[in-house]
Amino acid sequence: MTVKNNASRRFRWQGSWWVTWLIGIFGLVAGWALLNLVIGGQCDGQCVVSTLAQTLRKATPIAFAAFCGLICERAGVVDIGIEGKMLVAAMIGYAVNLFAFQALKEVMPPASAADLARVLALTAAVVSALPLAALHAGLSINIRADQIISGTVINILAIGITGYAYRQFLAENLPAGPGTFPLLNIPILSSIPVLGPILFQQKPLAYILWLSVFLIQYVLFFTPWGLRTRAVGEHPRAADTLGVNVYRMRWTNVLIGGVLAGLGGAWFTLEAVDVFNPLMTNGLGFIGLAAMIFGKWTPFGALIGAFIFGLGDSVTTTISIFRPDIPSQIPQMLPYLLTIIILTGVVGRAIPPAADGKPYEK
Amino acid sequence: MSEQTIQPAGFSASLRASLRMFWNGLKMPLLAILSAFVLGGVVILVTSGSFISVYEAYEGMLRGALFKQRGFSESLVATTPYILLSLAVAVGFKSGLFNIGAEGQFYIGAIGAAWAGVAFRGLPAIIHLPLALLAGAIGGAIWASIAGFLKAKTGAHEVISTMMLNYVSFRLSEYLVSGPLRDPAAGLVQTRTIAVEAELWNFHAIPERLQDPLNALAAAVGLALVIAFFTRWYLMSSVRTRDWSRSLRRRYYAAVGAAAAAILYFILPPLTRLWWPFTDTADRLHIGLLLAIGMAIFIWGLLQRTTIGFELRTAGANPNAARYAGVSITRSIITAMAISGGLAGLAGTIEVLGVSSCRCLPVSFSSGYGWDSIGIALLARNHPIGIIASSFLFGAMRNGADLMELTSGVSKYIISLLQALVLLFVAAPTIVRWVYRIKEERQASEAPITRGWGG
Repeated sequence: MTVKNNASRRFRWQGSWWVTWLIGIFGLVAGWALLNLVIGGQCDGQCVVSTLAQTLRKATPIAFAAFCGLICERAGVVDIGIEGKMLVAAMIGYAVNLFAFQALKEVMPPASAADLARVLALTAAVVSALPLAALHAGLSINIRADQIISGTVINILAIGITGYAYRQFLAENLPAGPGTFPLLNIPILSSIPVLGPILFQQKPLAYILWLSVFLIQYVLFFTPWGLRTRAVGEHPRAADTLGVNVYRMRWTNVLIGGVLAGLGGAWFTLEAVDVFNPLMTNGLGFIGLAAMIFGKWTPFGALIGAFIFGLGDSVTTTISIFRPDIPSQIPQMLPYLLTIIILTGVVGRAIPPAADGKPYEK
Repeated sequence: MSEQTIQPAGFSASLRASLRMFWNGLKMPLLAILSAFVLGGVVILVTSGSFISVYEAYEGMLRGALFKQRGFSESLVATTPYILLSLAVAVGFKSGLFNIGAEGQFYIGAIGAAWAGVAFRGLPAIIHLPLALLAGAIGGAIWASIAGFLKAKTGAHEVISTMMLNYVSFRLSEYLVSGPLRDPAAGLVQTRTIAVEAELWNFHAIPERLQDPLNALAAAVGLALVIAFFTRWYLMSSVRTRDWSRSLRRRYYAAVGAAAAAILYFILPPLTRLWWPFTDTADRLHIGLLLAIGMAIFIWGLLQRTTIGFELRTAGANPNAARYAGVSITRSIITAMAISGGLAGLAGTIEVLGVSSCRCLPVSFSSGYGWDSIGIALLARNHPIGIIASSFLFGAMRNGADLMELTSGVSKYIISLLQALVLLFVAAPTIVRWVYRIKEERQASEAPITRGWGG
């Protein structure tokens, strides 16, 4: 590539970085104040720390969904089928976890069988999202079907697949499974007073999340591959003229998005709860898209967006613990209302990649 | 091939051309349905491991949908909300909006109906029933216009905002049903039973309902309006009368309508007393079906024959051209969302006023209609007649699934898989064309176009 790119020369953040940060911090403080107002000042330091740790936990699937959307849309493919991919990944993760454990515990001690089963399940969950991602890629890149319709097809297909498989295989007479991933404490860092319990006493996917946000930021803005991805998303014709294979770039990105959505889906059954039920993703894939828009199509922005939703969710839990008299449905609406408010652009208008959602015809 | 048979002399060429057009329009959806069923059969075969269960499943589905006792009428009951919801989605598509939140508007409509059916007491049916229907429709319309307003004013994409409003409306209805609207006397968590006057009439109860003179008047006027409408259509198309002046035509069809109303008012009650085909009192088929079909025709007329419809379609097809021609995009987005939400709300209303066995809104009220209706709208290519037919297909599948599960042991979730496959083949006609070796037709637009986040 002979094109000089400023973004890859110095560590520049896309969009108005400070605004995003300030709103994040402001939201945090305001949320805490509001929380104490609602529950009558019962939230002490311990409660704040556990709420924040919970925030990170709840933000994980949203952030993965947002990254999936980000990677796809930077290459010009709109993906609203994240929800469906996560649902399938959650089910496959759950099933593999369960049945691999049954097979493995015959040949090795249960503790290591459980560990191995969980790792296998995580892998299977990630892999299981790939066929759906490939379907989306095929439909929207090669066949040039409407991308939002194609995403809807993925969602409906996922509801059908998981519902059918659940009723056929996973609904009754299940053996005991190995359960979700245990907490993984980072040796020294987890004993830091406040940050330790929030950041370093988490389950594995939370660490993978941190890893992937830095990785995506680096890859997207500091490597030729990232430059090509963004070029394909902004002006595919120009990229094609310069020798970038548009179709291959888009295919790769949609598949990588599938991997990320698979990680997000695995969170539901391998980290959050040890059951699967149909429709358990509850719109988090769509919230992830809103987080991505909030973050103006940047990894760190999307992560902060996800944290805001995670915070809304965990505050909801805290409120329902301290104030059982408030009907639980009212605070449960909070994250969804928050999504709508954020979409209206109170944090400034976000500009999507120019070729976002437009099929490319050679 | 039907096109190659020699037509008898006098068989008009225009009829042949229109038949061919009809077949061309029907070919792809039918092939999509066929492919979905074949692929669904493969899935059943793989998961159950025997050919016989594929046969049993489809046979059970067909029997459950059409031939078992009350099977056909139950299929029609399931068709009714599908017609309205997919009309809602189709109106969105025609106006360039993807209303993915029909299900949420359905809930709001149901709440509106459950409230209006209880809140007013002692009103005659001629006022109470329309009031309850209107309450639900307006509720749905307002709910959807929130998303429309945000889209028009701030650019918040309607796919995400209607989806989020879905979840809000689920929580909201759960809260309202278990809180303020709850019937304290009932054992289950549900709203109060609506007044008898607000109920949508079951077909078997029509003779009884017509004994009330006000009801008979309403029925007579309703039928007379239909008759007047058809008279007007006849007057405008018949060679003998098409040259009549506008006022003469108007006087003629108004007179026909008034006469029909007067005659029907006096003969309907005794006549239905004497003979009425629907005698099964356990049958749940209700006049909501007629309402839904009427709405399909009305919406078609609204979109194709009125200024508002033209503006909506133009704004959907090409917003820049529409803006240049002086159409307010803001207004047309909000109007489209309001119409769409109103239709979805009406579907929820009908579910409460006509279908639910307690004539109320229970808390565990889950429909799953929302996603299906997107599939129906796409399958029908947003055409109202197509919507009625595809709605019947989906309703029949939904109704037949229970018996299928019972007789073959195949989970009834297979129908969501089938529906997803139908949608897949409709959304990607290239696949179907490739499988069946069909040449691409010269068509300007075949799939409804949605837009990305940008526009």
